[in-house]
Amino acid sequence: MKLAGRIEIAAPARDVWDLMIDPVSLAACVPGVQHVARVDDRTFKGTISAAVGPMEGQFEFASTIVSSEYPTDLQVETLGTDSVTRSQLQANVQAWLEPLDPGRTALAYRATVNVNGRLAIVGEMILRATAGVMIGELVKCLRARLEAGAGGRPAAADVAAGPPG
Amino acid sequence: MNVSGRYDLVVIGGGSAGCVVAARASEDPAKRVLLVEAGPDPRPTPDVIADPKRQGEVILQSPFVRLYEVERPDGSTFPLISGRVMGGGSSVNNMSVIRPIRRDFDAWSRFGGPAWSYDALLPLMRAIEDDPDFGDQPLHGRGGPLRLHRSWKLDDPADPPARALIAAAADFGLPRCDDLNVPEPFGVCASPYSQVDGRRQSVADAYLEIARNRPNLTILSDATATRLDIAGGRVRGVELATPDGPSTAGADQVVVAAGTYHSPQLLMLSGIGPAGPIEAVGLRVAHQLDGVGENFQDHAVVYITFQGTTELREDYLIPKVRLIAKSRPDLEYGDLHVFMRPSIRVAGIPPLLPVSIHLLDVRSRGRLWLTSADPFDLPAVDPAILRHPDDVRAMLDAMDFVTRLTAHPKLAEFYGPLISPESPDGWEEHVTSSYITYNHAVGTCRMGSADDPLAVVDPELRVHGLDNLWIADASVLPVIPHATTNLAAILVGEVAARNIARA
Repeated sequence: MKLAGRIEIAAPARDVWDLMIDPVSLAACVPGVQHVARVDDRTFKGTISAAVGPMEGQFEFASTIVSSEYPTDLQVETLGTDSVTRSQLQANVQAWLEPLDPGRTALAYRATVNVNGRLAIVGEMILRATAGVMIGELVKCLRARLEAGAGGRPAAADVAAGPPG
Repeated sequence: MNVSGRYDLVVIGGGSAGCVVAARASEDPAKRVLLVEAGPDPRPTPDVIADPKRQGEVILQSPFVRLYEVERPDGSTFPLISGRVMGGGSSVNNMSVIRPIRRDFDAWSRFGGPAWSYDALLPLMRAIEDDPDFGDQPLHGRGGPLRLHRSWKLDDPADPPARALIAAAADFGLPRCDDLNVPEPFGVCASPYSQVDGRRQSVADAYLEIARNRPNLTILSDATATRLDIAGGRVRGVELATPDGPSTAGADQVVVAAGTYHSPQLLMLSGIGPAGPIEAVGLRVAHQLDGVGENFQDHAVVYITFQGTTELREDYLIPKVRLIAKSRPDLEYGDLHVFMRPSIRVAGIPPLLPVSIHLLDVRSRGRLWLTSADPFDLPAVDPAILRHPDDVRAMLDAMDFVTRLTAHPKLAEFYGPLISPESPDGWEEHVTSSYITYNHAVGTCRMGSADDPLAVVDPELRVHGLDNLWIADASVLPVIPHATTNLAAILVGEVAARNIARA
C-alpha cells in the first residue's frame, strides 16, 4: 500500500521537525499506540491493538529513524509482527518540511507499507481502512500540540491522505 | 505403511473431489482403492477444523492450509490458499454449500457437451444433498451425504444493521432469496453451510467416514505423489514420497484430484503438459498437452470501508446474510456476492465498517507453472485477477452499487461516509492494488474436446491421449462458477466416480 499527503501546520518548521524526530512524543499522537518505549535515540517500539469482529490481536513494532536532514529528509522504517498470524509488516515513511513563512510549515509525506504472510489475507483491508483515519487523528494531534505552543494562525486546508498522485 | 503393490484405482488427493471418488469407488468390494493425501489425516477431527467459531484460526493460524504468494501489479503481495489436510478445501473453507447457477452449466456444456448441462447433472446434485429445508422439492435432495444447515433464515431475529440491509435491499429490487440453490439465485439470501450438530461437516466426514473401514480402501496420508510413471499411452504407477520413504503404487486407473494448484503441477512433473514450462526445469516432455496450467481463474474480492456509527458483531467469515446482486441492472444474472463485515476496532478511532464485494464473473485468465523439478516446491501462479478491463469495470460498478445501497436511509443509520477508498478518483487504484480472492481457484486442467488445443481432459474427465488417467477436481472446470466452488468440486468428484465405474 502506498500513501502520500501534505498538511499545513501553523507552527515554525523547526518546532515541527523537533516533534517529528522525538519518537515518543510522535508516537503519543498515533491512535491506539501503547507501551511505547525508547530503545535508543533513533528507535522506539510499541504495540497497537486492533480487532476485526471476534478476532483480536496486538501488533508489536519497532520504528527506526534511518535518516534525518533538517528540513528536507526524514526517513523512518518500521518493522512489525502481529500476534495472531506472526506475519510481518514493513513500512517506510519519508517526510519533509517546506517552511511557508516563519509561522507556517507544510509537512509532506510518502509511505509504502507491505504486509507479508497470512496477515495479508485481511491485513491489506485493515491497513487501508485504518490508515487514512489514523493519519487524520495524527494530524489533529500534531496541530493541537504545535499550534497551541506557537499560537500561530490556523492552517490552510489539507491535501487528504491518499495514494500518491 | 507399505502401499506398494497393485490397485484398481489410485486417487491422488483427499480433497473435496478425491474423497468422493475414493468413497464411491470403494463401494464396489471387488475394487482395490488407494487414496493418497499430501496433508495429514487427523482423527478425531481437530477442534480448530470442526468448530465453526474457530474458522478464522484455521485460515490464519493452523497448519492445515497452504499459501501461494502472488503479486499485484503494484508489487504488493497476498497469499492464495488451499486446504492441506484430509477433506482439502472442505476442511478449511467457510462451509458454504452453494450450487453453480444454470448459466455455469450452460458454459460447461459448451466445452463438455450435454452431459454437463444443468438438467443432466440435477440428479447428481440432488443425490449429494441432505437439505432439511427444501429437500422435498423437485430441485433438491434429501438423504444424501452432505447436510445443508441454515443456522439463520430470513425471518429469524437479526441485528438491526442486518435487518436494515434486508429492508434497504428490497428497495433496490433485491428480493428475498430463502433458497440460493435455485438455477438463478438473486437477492437477499440465507446461506446454507455444511454443518451437523453445530460442527463442520467436511467431505472427509460426509463421504470418507463411512468408507474408512472397508478392507478394499487404503488411505495414505502425509504422502506426496511425486511423479506418474507413463509408458505406452498409459500410467503404469504412481511414485510416492511417504513417511516411510519412497514407494510406487501400481494402478489400473489413476485419478489425479490434487486440486487446481497441484494437479497441473503433478502432470507437468510427469512430463504431461506444455513443452516450454516442463523443459525449463530440466524435465522431458512425455505427453504434450498445452493447456496444463493455463486458464487459471479465481473470483476477485475487494473490500471497501465506511465510517461506522456503531459496531457490527456479524461473524467475520461465516456471515448470515449473503447478497447476490448485479453490478449493472441490465445483467440477466447476479454477478456479485456482497457481505457486510464486522467492524474494525482500533483504540482512538471510531469503528470502521467494511463491506466485501466478490465478483463472480471472471474474464481474466491466469496461469500456473513449475518453479523447479522438485515436487515439494510450490508451483508459481499468475492469477491475473482483474487483469481484464471489463472485470475492473464490473468491480467499479459494484462499488457504486454498494455505496448507493449503504446510503439508503435505513442503512445510513449505521454506515457513515466511505473512507477507503476516500475519493472517487482513487477507486480504480484501490481496486487494482488491494484485491484479494475468494479462494475459488479453478480451470488449470480444463475439459474440452480432442480438437480443443487447450483441453486437458475430455468431457468424461479422462486426460486426452492417456487411457487410464483421470482428473477429478475444480481444475477441470473450464469456467469458474457464479458460486463458491466446494459443491462444484464435490459434483466433479461424483461425475468422475460415475464415469470411471462405467469405463
